[in-house]
Amino acid sequence: MSTKEQKERIELLQGTLDLLILRTLLLGPMHGHAIAKAIEFRSDDVLQVEQGSLYPALHRLIKRRWISVEEGTSENNRRAKFYRLTAKGRRQLVLETNRWDALAGAIARILRPAEQESES
Amino acid sequence: MRLRKRMLDDLDQDIRDHLERETQDNIERGMSAEEARYAALRKFGNVTRVKEETRDVWSVVWLEQLIQDARFGLRTLWRSPGLTVAAVLAIGLGIGVNVGVFSVLNGAALRLLPVPRAEQIVSVNQILHGRTSRDIHGEASMFSYPEYLNYRDHNHVFTGLVAYEPFVEATLAGGNVEQLLGTAISCNYFGVLNEHPAQGRGFVDSDCAASGGNAVVVVSDDLWRGRFAADPSLVGKRIILNRTAYTVVGVARPGFRGTEPIPSAFWAPITMQKAFEPGRDRLADDNMSWLALLGRTQPGVTMQQVRADLGVIAGRIDQLHPGRTTSLAIRTATFFNSPEERSFLIPVASVILAAFALVLLIACANVANLLLARASARHKEIALRLSIGASRWRLVRQLLTESLLLSLAGGVLGSLIAFWSFLKITQFVISHLPHGLPTFVVNVAPNIHVLAYALGLTLITGIAFGLIPALRSSRLDLNTILKGDSVHSGPGKRSGRSLLNALVGSQVAVCMVLLLAAGLLLRGLYYAQTVNPGFEEKNVAEAFFDLRAQGYDESRATAFVERLRERIGGDPGVIEVAQAECAPLSHDFSVGTFTVPGRPDKISIEYNHVSPEYFSVVGIPIVRGRGFGPGENAPGVIVTESTARRLWPGEDPLGKTLREDGGEDSVIGVARDAQVSHLGELNTTYLYYPAGPRDDARTYVLVRYAGGFTDVAKGIRDASRSLDHDVSVDVIKLEDNLEIWRAPSRIVAALSGALGALALLLASIGVYGMVYYSVNRCVREIGIRMALGANGGDVMSLVLWRAMRPVLIGAIIGMAVCAGVSQVLSSMLFGLSAHDPIAFVCVPLFLLAVALFASYIPARRAVRVDPMVALRCE
Repeated sequence: MSTKEQKERIELLQGTLDLLILRTLLLGPMHGHAIAKAIEFRSDDVLQVEQGSLYPALHRLIKRRWISVEEGTSENNRRAKFYRLTAKGRRQLVLETNRWDALAGAIARILRPAEQESES
Repeated sequence: MRLRKRMLDDLDQDIRDHLERETQDNIERGMSAEEARYAALRKFGNVTRVKEETRDVWSVVWLEQLIQDARFGLRTLWRSPGLTVAAVLAIGLGIGVNVGVFSVLNGAALRLLPVPRAEQIVSVNQILHGRTSRDIHGEASMFSYPEYLNYRDHNHVFTGLVAYEPFVEATLAGGNVEQLLGTAISCNYFGVLNEHPAQGRGFVDSDCAASGGNAVVVVSDDLWRGRFAADPSLVGKRIILNRTAYTVVGVARPGFRGTEPIPSAFWAPITMQKAFEPGRDRLADDNMSWLALLGRTQPGVTMQQVRADLGVIAGRIDQLHPGRTTSLAIRTATFFNSPEERSFLIPVASVILAAFALVLLIACANVANLLLARASARHKEIALRLSIGASRWRLVRQLLTESLLLSLAGGVLGSLIAFWSFLKITQFVISHLPHGLPTFVVNVAPNIHVLAYALGLTLITGIAFGLIPALRSSRLDLNTILKGDSVHSGPGKRSGRSLLNALVGSQVAVCMVLLLAAGLLLRGLYYAQTVNPGFEEKNVAEAFFDLRAQGYDESRATAFVERLRERIGGDPGVIEVAQAECAPLSHDFSVGTFTVPGRPDKISIEYNHVSPEYFSVVGIPIVRGRGFGPGENAPGVIVTESTARRLWPGEDPLGKTLREDGGEDSVIGVARDAQVSHLGELNTTYLYYPAGPRDDARTYVLVRYAGGFTDVAKGIRDASRSLDHDVSVDVIKLEDNLEIWRAPSRIVAALSGALGALALLLASIGVYGMVYYSVNRCVREIGIRMALGANGGDVMSLVLWRAMRPVLIGAIIGMAVCAGVSQVLSSMLFGLSAHDPIAFVCVPLFLLAVALFASYIPARRAVRVDPMVALRCE
């Protein structure tokens, strides 16, 4: 029951989770549960998002006006909040994606120097 | 904001929906309903924490939480009223004392002058470097009149520049002759300061048109009410000051007492200077420091511009005086402006504030102790909140809010008490200063500085005593506590005790420093009260006559003094009458530079001109040679024993010669050493000249009497009045002069004694609380020991030893610190020995005895515990 460990994990996920949410919403407006499902599904169940942490992230994105929220009815006729990517969010997504690519590439070059060289 | 509300309102619903959907999915995957529900919850994580974090996203949350924390804190404090009252009182005491002292210092050193838009008024002082020789009347950083005119006429930054001579002494004739302290001012003074007299007018330029031309005066409200019984027609009447008639043109506003800490009774044009101090023309003297300068800056002019502009003028003046460079000290004006005053005031003020801050520190340590003790009782509550997902930072914040509430309550209480009581205390102290010290005005009423200081102190206090307990009690081993072993599961039993010990030890150390300082000062005071000054100060009356200021010339003065002495000598009860240029310990000093034939160096020696009777009147025996004879004016001097030893070691001083300024004197006698110049300095060089007619214009008359002082004093006053009704005479006892020398050590001793007592009270409460708490923590241990057959005495000494160990360590540290501090103190105060053995033995013993008593009470309670009760109560 150590709060410290959990906190570190949340911090580790934070930026990444925002990016994943933005990318997921590119497909169209979704409600919270659907976003979680989509992330799991699209990552072939590799990424097990702790679903609760989705909500602080959603609220953060709303506050930054990268996504907007609207009331709607879900597939089985239940009222739900639907989250939609805003124009600002779209721009942010491009920016974040580029940044992520750069980061991933850099880390990959450090971790696998030999493969990189042999490929090139 | 609306967005935030909408989002948060639906948060619970959203999370519930989410969980239902997930459960539904799980059921579709083939789980049982219950299984599906648990899986969904597991996957979601800690619901409470998610809600907390989501709320945190919306930043105003901190405010919400603050209000929430404050509410909760108030409820908690309300539930334990004993602790709350104790803590608030301790902090109130500490903060109150500090705020009070600060408000006095603020009144003396930080407050702006009591005139409209005082923030525009700047004071100007100069520091002269290089090869300069200059007459100083007042302080070295003051200006001459020609210099003032230069700055006044050539600056581009002031709407007006004012010059004044503070502390002009004048005798007010008529009715009761009275000695007044007034101010000689440039005639733009009232205009520039924007200070308009309540009646009549201030001065206009034409009042200063010619030297000695216009005898007008503005009197203070105090003088108008006191001396003139608030006479509504005083303006236009004439009053006599130092034999010159002045027309009263105005009465100052009640709140205005001038621009110096000592109130001014009147204001006269600076051009009347010669009338106040006959025989000296200061206005023409270009090389004399005697005027203080105040300027009102033009709107929008910065301090930099003022410095640059006046610097140019200073540079021009320097060109007229080769080898001299001037640097200017310019600051927003307060009552203490000159570099000399500030270089004294600021270190003294810091020492005082530091001493009082130490008391606050003890109070803080006490409260921290109390909170630590309570924190152990709250372990369960805190553990519970941590385990259901509260973050540690959140808990620390909540505990800090609580301690800030405490300190705020204490601060408000303390400040209110301080504002009220220090007004009274200052009045009391000022009215009880020894006779002869000038009265001064300190406005101790709170202003923005004091309020800011009080608030800052309160916040720092709250954080200081709250932080450690908050950090510690939020770092818990949750498992043990929730299992219910509440007593033995503090945040590490050993470290808990060592923290308490450290707190107690530091309290004792601080207390020891204050008490030892007080003890040393009291010992010094005792020494000062009992020291033998080397002359007989009892049964001697002292009267001072400044006849030159009254317009007497030398021959009239001599006639006056001769007849006066005749009359006094005939009074019953009077044994002998003598005259001296400087009365013993009267703060009048004359110093000359001498050379001795056969020695290359110049020696500066204090001297005095005395009549033949002086030695028998003040009881200083002539140990070799002879005293002065009647009418002696020959070039003979009497030296003291120390002087003889210093100038002619191993030789007979009689007949030796001393040279001064071309004159030559031979030694005719040797007087015993006496502390006539500085109390506490025995071995200073000193010599006596015979008094001649030249000395009569400004002289002390000393009268040895056998009867009561009142009769003699009345005799002297009557004799003086019958000769000249308008001569002011002030008769005091010679021993009063000693009181003035002793006053500083008495005030400091009383102050530090009170502080030390306060510190002792707080520290013994602290020791008591600590022992009480630690005994409570080990009641079970004591119970087991007793059950196994330990006897009460052994347990008692164990408990006492545990309690006294930190006290002993703190005491030793405190003594070491004080040994260092006392070196500084002894150089500042009269009669203080840095390592006075009695103080260094008695004070620690006293403190240890108090600590022992404070730990004995709870220890006795522990020993009386019934073993069965102790074991069962777990």
